[in-house]
Amino acid sequence: MSALETTAAAGDDWPATSLGERALVQYEVEQFLYAEAALLDARDWRAWLALIADDVHYWMPIRRTVTIADLDLEFTRPGEMAYFDDDRAMLEMRVKKLEAGSAWSEDPPSRTRHFVSNVRILGLRAGEITVEAAFHLYRSRLNTEQDSWFGRRVDVLRRAKGGSGHGFQIVQRHLFLDQTVILAANMSTIF
Amino acid sequence: MADGRQAAEALDRAAIEALFDRATGVLDRRVLCDEAIYRLELERIFARGWNFMCHDSQLRAVGDYLVSWIGEDQVIVVRGDDGEVNVLLNTCRHRGNALCRAEQGRARSFVCSYHGWNYGLDGRLLGAPGASTYYHGELDKSRLGLVRLRTESYLGFHFATLADDAPSLFDYLGEVGRTGLGMACAHGEIEVVAGVQKNIVGCNWKIAVDNLFDWYHVPYSHASADAAGFVDVGRILHPKEQLVMLGEWGHAIGGPGMPAERQAELDAMSDEAREAASRAQPANSDRLRPRAAAELMGPVGVRSYGHPNIFPNLWITLSGLQMCLRLPRGPSATELWWFTLAPKDAHPQLKRRMVQMASHIFGPAGLLEQDDGDNWRQATRSARGAASRKVGHFIGMGLGHGETRDAGGGARYIEGQISEHGQRWLYQAWTEWMAARDWAELAANHSQPPTGAI
Repeated sequence: MSALETTAAAGDDWPATSLGERALVQYEVEQFLYAEAALLDARDWRAWLALIADDVHYWMPIRRTVTIADLDLEFTRPGEMAYFDDDRAMLEMRVKKLEAGSAWSEDPPSRTRHFVSNVRILGLRAGEITVEAAFHLYRSRLNTEQDSWFGRRVDVLRRAKGGSGHGFQIVQRHLFLDQTVILAANMSTIF
Repeated sequence: MADGRQAAEALDRAAIEALFDRATGVLDRRVLCDEAIYRLELERIFARGWNFMCHDSQLRAVGDYLVSWIGEDQVIVVRGDDGEVNVLLNTCRHRGNALCRAEQGRARSFVCSYHGWNYGLDGRLLGAPGASTYYHGELDKSRLGLVRLRTESYLGFHFATLADDAPSLFDYLGEVGRTGLGMACAHGEIEVVAGVQKNIVGCNWKIAVDNLFDWYHVPYSHASADAAGFVDVGRILHPKEQLVMLGEWGHAIGGPGMPAERQAELDAMSDEAREAASRAQPANSDRLRPRAAAELMGPVGVRSYGHPNIFPNLWITLSGLQMCLRLPRGPSATELWWFTLAPKDAHPQLKRRMVQMASHIFGPAGLLEQDDGDNWRQATRSARGAASRKVGHFIGMGLGHGETRDAGGGARYIEGQISEHGQRWLYQAWTEWMAARDWAELAANHSQPPTGAI
């Protein structure tokens, strides 16, 4: 029985777990995030999609440049406009588009590197782990185009049934960019 | 640095008009890359025209502000103490520092971070540190307010111009511009959903504007969005039922139009029957407009389900659900701003669906728009090559095959299959704006929408 399952009772049990249990979950989560990043960098969209839960919310709100006094306006809120506001069906369409053979913005394909760091487990509740991480998505396109997106990410991971695959499913990915105006012609890659 | 004067001195009226050959539909690619021509555009198009600033719903309370652009002039758009919307150049009268560095917020006044000059929401200089001491009480505050622009609105959409001699906004919009804004309000009062998507594409702004009339590219550029099952291009395209409207000053609409016979059937239906018919349609169909829409859009405009452009750079799309501003950032870059509109009284669930759908279509991550940026960027880049620059853009589709009809209010329309009448009208107007030194010269030397064959 894993550390997660032993503490999967109702309520946020994360602080109550022992250092050993926390270290094990931290290791499992990090390995999962690295494996997921490797799938995206390898353009293995189908394998990536298998990590996505049916009830996923994949969301990147709009960030704005605001004064300190107006920081409550910095991010758009759920239900307001966003760059990504996707459910599972929408992510499947993004993958189908990439596979269509006519997604011109990805042919020649972008070369990406997904970096994930500063991984912190924020909570553990009913078998779901809330994970905060810093991300850097580097994209090289054609010969001279480069894009870099940095930000903070809050994922919710759910222990996959049957222990197959990579161990978790992604239930939530909320991406909080550090850029306000997007300095790229498009965001045709998956974050 | 190149400026507009260089282009104005190098290119007389005949040379500017020759940049687009209306007889053949060939555009000189210098207009897509030349720095001096670009500088002249800032003066003769952006500083002269009416520029979209915001919708009324974006500034709810006194002091609510956002920062926008007229060409490369940054402006503060703010709800003043009297409730009116003021548009002020975002440059301190003392040393030119920007008053607002945030893109939106709430302010009681605007204080310059350099020396502390303080301006009211109407731009008046309220005070400056040392006014009575270092300036010996001689600072004439009445002459040192922020530059305040002419501002007018139509249907709650606020526009501003730097040209005191421009016609009224109502007249400037004309039948076609008013139809475009009317499209956004055809189903009732709207509000702008919080959050403007912004991204920068390495293309000339006119390529992006030209593209909005271009229904020819949809099946090919956006083939992958169709293959993914996201849009049904076969359903939305209506390649043989296109309605192009041409208006004075360069405004135009291009795209699918409801044939007159079908509109006549619709005219006989109650609003309730129209709603029921809308619900019975397959996905990706346009919601049928209520009876009152004809008042806002005119008898021909109400049949348009295409893309209006309010000259120079405001695109209304998705039958009014979104608007996109194409802001010039040098000859080879354009900042795109996507505004999303929703009916004010929409059910929260419906609104949620509309907003989500809007985020999926356009914007940098949109399934349609993803594939536009590279095309526009490469087209702009090729204009830099010594040889490639001399190869003209060919905008000749349907030339000589259109028959114009009266759309009322001075506008004309053409029905038929997919064509490039809208793009040609855009570039023709562009040459006329660029050749004229001021509004009086433009007014005396611009084309009325054409009559007869086109």
